[in-house]
Amino acid sequence: MLLQFDYVKPKSIAETIGLLVQHGSSSAIKAGGTDLIVWMKKHLIKPEIVIDITGIAELSGVSFYPHKGLRIGANATINQVLANREVKRSFPAIYEACLSHSDRLIRNKATFVGNVTGGVPSADLVPSLCCYDAVVHIAGPDGERDVPILEFITGPRRTVLSKEELVTHIYVPHIEAQAAGCYVKLARRNALDLAQASVACVVVDKQNGKDFRISCGAVAPKPIRALEAEKYLKGTKTLDETAIRNAADKVTESVNPITDVRATREYRLDMIRELTIKALATCIEGLRGGRMS
Amino acid sequence: MSEIKVNFILNGRATTYVGEPRTTLLRALRAHGVTSVKRGCEEGECGTCTVLVDGVPMKSCMMLLPEVEGKSVITSEGLVGSNGELHPIQKAFIEEGAIQCGFCTPGMIMSVYALLNENPDPSDEDIKEALSGNLCRCTGYVSIIRAVKKAAAMMRE
Ligand SMILES: Cc1cc2nc3c(=O)[nH]c(=O)nc-3n(C[C@H](O)[C@H](O)[C@H](O)COP(=O)(O)OP(=O)(O)OC[C@H]3O[C@@H](n4cnc5c(N)ncnc54)[C@H](O)[C@@H]3O)c2cc1C
Ligand code: FES
Ligand code: FES
Repeated sequence: MLLQFDYVKPKSIAETIGLLVQHGSSSAIKAGGTDLIVWMKKHLIKPEIVIDITGIAELSGVSFYPHKGLRIGANATINQVLANREVKRSFPAIYEACLSHSDRLIRNKATFVGNVTGGVPSADLVPSLCCYDAVVHIAGPDGERDVPILEFITGPRRTVLSKEELVTHIYVPHIEAQAAGCYVKLARRNALDLAQASVACVVVDKQNGKDFRISCGAVAPKPIRALEAEKYLKGTKTLDETAIRNAADKVTESVNPITDVRATREYRLDMIRELTIKALATCIEGLRGGRMS
Repeated sequence: MSEIKVNFILNGRATTYVGEPRTTLLRALRAHGVTSVKRGCEEGECGTCTVLVDGVPMKSCMMLLPEVEGKSVITSEGLVGSNGELHPIQKAFIEEGAIQCGFCTPGMIMSVYALLNENPDPSDEDIKEALSGNLCRCTGYVSIIRAVKKAAAMMRE
């Protein structure tokens, strides 16, 4: 059973900030509530006041602006993101990450942004956002600020947000070149399972060569990009099996997984290597097949 | 802490529930005798508590009662006609032996109802994806998929 709390449903961002300033750390923001309700049931958090932001029109919607990119409002559910055709076409790694999340019913409630603000290391949507250099937009009593996704999450269930701030939307810049992307996740079953390890990969085909972006989930306290591996791949002339294998080794050197109920550290490292090989092969194949972005 | 009054439409009827904000929609419905909605895991995993909220299938254990203020909620009871006539989906589940203990059935039926509203002729893959959040521990899913196809055919007629 949940502990008792008061419930408010503000109508605007300004009203929400007012409530956050007034109630500080005794309050909690609720979007879809699929993390919040579970944490409250387990008494991991004990807010006295729950601020439901789902009635705020300013926070809704998924929109794509050509030459700019994708804007995902804080209230957009994961299924709403999946329903936007441009997501599948231009941001395949995000599309696949959304499809790997929970099940059809939970995705009707869980928000895209809530997955990021929770700061959970296994959050499925974060690695792809890291590959696309997404930016988190924050509003608070001192105005608005933008924080790159890699800096937004600072540790397990910790973010740069102060108690008086909320995220209004996430912005994903458009890639102005041919690109391929994918998200591969290891879990015990297809639907409804948290990742034991995951890899997002985006390869951009630029005039002066290919750009590689690799990010891993559930294997570090905060989001990471495998920069050494990315650099190695960019400098490699022939992208053969050996190059991919070498890159995968470098990716495992950049992560630092823990042993927990879902998997051991050693198993996670082995799996990151295999997932990276699969992800890179998929992207390179995708570019050959002309998967456009 | 406060008691709240929540006004919503339940199976086509204007309804007011009084409760606490911490009451989940699942618990509120069951406390008011809407017992087709089953309390399984209460952690969003099993789908036995599935209802439609403004036409969208949701797990009611993941929803606080005040969230349905002003919304329309449909449960398996709401699919039964005024003369007690079962809905084609409910009939098909019985006819195809897609029910054993029955605990998962009302939730399954609501997910199927949402699917067939959107897609009157779903493939096996469409059905599996739509039911990915509804677990059945008895039948295996073969007879359930058969029932969905039969219901779809009945509803297309
Ligand atoms: C059955 C089940 C299956 C799941 N499967 C997966 C899975 O496969 N992969 C996965 O990654 N996750 C999974 N989850 C976890 C959860 O569903 C996701 O992380 C989801 O995306 C969270 O979104 P939400 O809108 O429900 O967040 P909420 O629970 O509403 O919020 C999550 C956290 O973020 C804060 N918050 C929310 N919105 C804002 C905002 N705009 N500004 C500031 N803070 C905010 C809240 O205060 C809270 O701390 C699962 C959960 C359940 C119950
Ligand atoms: S009781 Fe709601 S999903 Fe299990
Ligand atoms: S019929 Fe028993 S759980 Fe499905």
